[in-house]
Amino acid sequence: MLKINNLHVAVDDGQKPILTGLSLEVPKGEVHAIMGPNGAGKSTLSYVLTGRDGYDVTDGTVTLDGKDLLDMEPEERAAAGVFLSFQYPLEIPGVPTMTFLKTALNAQRKARGEEEMKAPEFLKKARALAKELKMKPEMLKRPLNVGFSGGEKKRMEIFQMMMLEPNFIVMDETDSGLDVDALRIVADGVNKLRSPDRGMLIITHYQRLLDYIVPDRVHVLAKGGIAASGDAEFAKKLENEGYDAYAA
Amino acid sequence: MTHMPLSLKTLPNRRDEAWKWSDVSRAVSNDVQGADTSAPVQIFVPEGVTVTRTDAAATAANDTSLVKLASQYAGQVWNIVVPDGFSSENPIQIEGLTNGHAQISLSLGKGASVQLVEHYDGQAGAFVNSHLNVKLAEDALLDRVIVQTDPDDCVRISTTHVTAWAKSELRQHTLAFGGKLSRLETRMAGMGEGVKATINGAYLLDGARHCDMTSYIDLACPDGHIRQSVKGVTADKSRGVFQGKFHVRRPAQHTDARMRHDCIMLSDTSEIRSKPELEIYADDVVCEHGNTIGALDESALFYMRQRGIPLAQARAMLTEAFLASVFDTLEDEVMRESLLEKLRAWLEATV
Repeated sequence: MLKINNLHVAVDDGQKPILTGLSLEVPKGEVHAIMGPNGAGKSTLSYVLTGRDGYDVTDGTVTLDGKDLLDMEPEERAAAGVFLSFQYPLEIPGVPTMTFLKTALNAQRKARGEEEMKAPEFLKKARALAKELKMKPEMLKRPLNVGFSGGEKKRMEIFQMMMLEPNFIVMDETDSGLDVDALRIVADGVNKLRSPDRGMLIITHYQRLLDYIVPDRVHVLAKGGIAASGDAEFAKKLENEGYDAYAA
Repeated sequence: MTHMPLSLKTLPNRRDEAWKWSDVSRAVSNDVQGADTSAPVQIFVPEGVTVTRTDAAATAANDTSLVKLASQYAGQVWNIVVPDGFSSENPIQIEGLTNGHAQISLSLGKGASVQLVEHYDGQAGAFVNSHLNVKLAEDALLDRVIVQTDPDDCVRISTTHVTAWAKSELRQHTLAFGGKLSRLETRMAGMGEGVKATINGAYLLDGARHCDMTSYIDLACPDGHIRQSVKGVTADKSRGVFQGKFHVRRPAQHTDARMRHDCIMLSDTSEIRSKPELEIYADDVVCEHGNTIGALDESALFYMRQRGIPLAQARAMLTEAFLASVFDTLEDEVMRESLLEKLRAWLEATV
């Protein structure tokens, strides 16, 4: 269970408050969506959960299964099972995709005191998943995300997610840059990862993605906190009525 | 030959334009080991290549003071001769060069092809000054690899003159870790049509190490093809210097010459000095230079850490990926892998 309690976050050396008392609980096995107007702090929330520099937590707590996330380095949070699907995945020139992913997977395993995954097992798993996500096999040999289209990069995020099998997933605007076919493939991948042991937080501006990944709860992020919550139908209402009612 | 004591006045200092960032006279004291002695030299050659020793040739008036010093103190010249049409799986290896002065001449006959591997691993506190004079006859190919692993209190000057005749080719890959002061200088004269050169190098510096990669490519004939990529990383209080010049003379039409110097500063107390230059008199040429200095991409580092890769490992991976491309053009895979191993070991210990 992810528990966020009274979270206050500021940027610009603490000068500019973005989140001002956000509280949220995502129990294991549930998928929650965060919607909201641009600039409400949706991406800020994803970066604070994953430990990016430049976001000052001035108050509040965040725990995953009882462990204090805010006290951990980004790589420790990853090893604890937090995965962020980036809105804009980075290009890593010179580092082949498979090398990157194998290094990441084994670094996580090592941090958890588990045995490293051997190359043959890793390759077998990667090839099977790539096929499932309809990715060209040569994509895995190329430097990570270099020269990939927007849609290919998003598919690569899902591929990494399926390889790493995290226990809490944050998806930041995963639908942006995807056409309908790619969206369906990505959503199928995500839906396969739904499990009683895994929570998900889907951050999105549009309701479209939620037709494919149906959430258990939908929250509106506005004015620095959760302004309203509802079920999957609530997302459709928001799409029709807009966020004006919740804006500052 | 008169043996005058090495005079600090003879050594270039920062008032010499070509040495303004590599002040040799400041780095060397009169009593440094090797100041006025000849260097031990070991040369291993494949069968068919000959090595002889002859008296030193007269130096030219326009030689640098260090080349003159090498001629004065090296004693005899080592002459390596590779006959016409020669080729071998085995390289020429130059070892030794641990302190003192050396003069070596290497001549490749028409159509000859050979690999030259030089390992610079000097003695602690020593001064090493070597001059290599290379002649490439028509269609000759020299595949040169330099690995410099001097201790941090060693001063090393390595000057190479290459005279390249028609359709000959120099492929040079250097991996350097600097020293108290090191200058690896390559001066090439393209004297025939269709000369090709790849002059790539990587320097990795920590502590207070200094490495200077200087090159001067002088093209006098048409259809020259030059590719140069030097990359560096500087940590702690180290200092990297790159000076590159392409001099394209009026007859050197259709020259295609590209120079790049890119580096990453791993600390804000390190220093990088760079002077790329083009001097062009021919009007139908493609010449360019590029120079970048930056830091590791923070966003890329965060991305890698978010996937579970610890910070130090992420930094090492990004730095290796950045540097490794200068060795992509090295065809000898075993050699390339051994250079990358050294590079990785440094990154593991430093980054």
